[in-house]
Amino acid sequence: MRPGWRNIIPHIVLSVFSLAILLPLIWVVRVSLTDKLTAYKIPPEIGHVGIENYIEIFSTYPFERWFFNSLIVALVSTAIALPLATAMAYAFARFNTGGAFLRLGVLASQMLPPIILVLPLFTLFFSTGLMQTRMGLILAHLTISLPFLAWMLVSFFEGDSASLEEAARIDGATRWQAFIKIAVPVAAPGILAAGLLGFILSWNEFLFALVLSGADSQTLPIGLASMETHAGVEIAPLAAATVVSLLPVFALLPFLRKYLIKGLSLGALK
Amino acid sequence: MAGIELKNISKVYGGSVVAVDDISLEIKDGEFMIFLGPSGCGKSTTLRMIGGLESISKGDLLIGGKRMNDVDPADRDIAIVFQNYALYPHMTVAGNLGFGLKLRGVDRGEIERRIKAISSMMGIEALLERKPAQLSGGQRQRVALGRALVREPQAFLLDEPLSNLDAKLRAAMRTELIKLHHKVGTTIIHVTHDQIEAMTMGQRICIMKDGHIIQVGAPLDVYRNPANTFVAGFLASPPMNLVTGRLEGNGGGDLHALAGAARLPIPEAFRAGYAGHSGAAVTVGLRPEDFHLAPLAGRSVPVAVRTVAVELLGPEVILVAELGGAGGPEIQARMPRDFLARPGAELTLHYDLTQIHLFDGQSGTALARPQIA
Repeated sequence: MRPGWRNIIPHIVLSVFSLAILLPLIWVVRVSLTDKLTAYKIPPEIGHVGIENYIEIFSTYPFERWFFNSLIVALVSTAIALPLATAMAYAFARFNTGGAFLRLGVLASQMLPPIILVLPLFTLFFSTGLMQTRMGLILAHLTISLPFLAWMLVSFFEGDSASLEEAARIDGATRWQAFIKIAVPVAAPGILAAGLLGFILSWNEFLFALVLSGADSQTLPIGLASMETHAGVEIAPLAAATVVSLLPVFALLPFLRKYLIKGLSLGALK
Repeated sequence: MAGIELKNISKVYGGSVVAVDDISLEIKDGEFMIFLGPSGCGKSTTLRMIGGLESISKGDLLIGGKRMNDVDPADRDIAIVFQNYALYPHMTVAGNLGFGLKLRGVDRGEIERRIKAISSMMGIEALLERKPAQLSGGQRQRVALGRALVREPQAFLLDEPLSNLDAKLRAAMRTELIKLHHKVGTTIIHVTHDQIEAMTMGQRICIMKDGHIIQVGAPLDVYRNPANTFVAGFLASPPMNLVTGRLEGNGGGDLHALAGAARLPIPEAFRAGYAGHSGAAVTVGLRPEDFHLAPLAGRSVPVAVRTVAVELLGPEVILVAELGGAGGPEIQARMPRDFLARPGAELTLHYDLTQIHLFDGQSGTALARPQIA
């Protein structure tokens, strides 16, 4: 054991950083539970505590529609991206498809500011009738998640996975069987983690949704941004809406962590 | 079961890197063949070509008389045991054993029967429901062997399967593999860089270097009659002492090998073969085990050595000494277990002249002489 005082300093530093991250969240939760008046008080008061704001967001705003849109867009775009990204990553890892050039190209697409993609997509969707539809938004989100997930998954198909497939091929499997029955299950934790990340990426995406969605296809981030009345931003209901929209992400985080770690350590079986 | 024939096989990577260069070899049906060589000699590449995991750049591969160059690994009916075992981590031991059978459409009752038979043969019945991560190195090794056995393939290819095990387990598995070969009688090709495995396990050894086959033969034949200095220096531990010297004749038919300050008369039986090299630079090969403390009647010559170090191994003692006295070439000699000598001590050992090896000073190729049986 190291002497106690040497442990204290890192803990103080970590506590400060943790607070920097946690305080805004705690503040949002507190505001979401107060009434509209107390929400603006500085210094903050505890005052009234209740769930009126949560009721209001569902009664006054089309909150459930935003939530539903976000859910559909995130789920479907992830469901499309995941198998494609898996196949891409496999091709990169096993056959070095396109060489370093294509790999870099995929990464480079992530380096473009999203705003550069938005305008071409806008014209494209406008002429194909995809404008303001959920399908359009799903396609737009694929431009973000597909390269990202593929890039992330490559490492899960490198290393030991190749020799396992060779063993399967010797055991009598075709290339496809070796991929489906060995490579994919072995990479499953990584694929799950990638899927969760893809879901969160789409769930939080703002810019594409702002430009490409319409009244019927608005997602949560756009909905939250639109919660502005003639009297200005009503911060208490907005806080409540923020809390609800954060819930799925928080629900997914423990799984993300678990699968990422499991995925990274599974390859190390020796 | 089937024999395997390699006809002028080459493997070239990227058009220029030659990993295996025009090798030909016939492995008989049911034979236990060892591919021995240092890493990078092409032995694993050759094995992978036989298994179908590497394409063959040139030449023909025949398994059971049929050309297999372009046959999918799945259809070659060969099993490979990999160095890292390559057990499927997401399947149980039973799943690993049954995978190949399931793919081949063997019915469930039969799969279960065979898994049971193999697991009892390999002593892994109690592990059937475990995942590979929950097994020890030796258990994984058994499962990997079991997975190869359960399919009853035409041949087994073992790619350094013992190199990840600790010394004790490795010795035990060595014996077990030999017993296994006696029991199933299937053709086995075992790739290793461990000369003890090569000497003890194989019926024949194929020694490779830089993509070439250097020598093929029964372990003792290769040990007794190494084809060149590479084989001589690779086989056995400690290996043959190789001392630069020259061959000298006195005109009267007598021949002497000069190694350092030591002068070794060539026995009459070898003279005819060596006579042509009289006056040439040679490498003299002296086996550590052929140095003796007492003279051997009529066939040994005394050699003076100066002790450098003594390694006590228990069953024997390795004497490191300078041949011919201080400043001479360093040699190793195998001494009985009660041997003792202080560093710097001058000793006289007796070398068994029937065990003298001469190699060409330039090429290292063994000079022709009657084979030692």
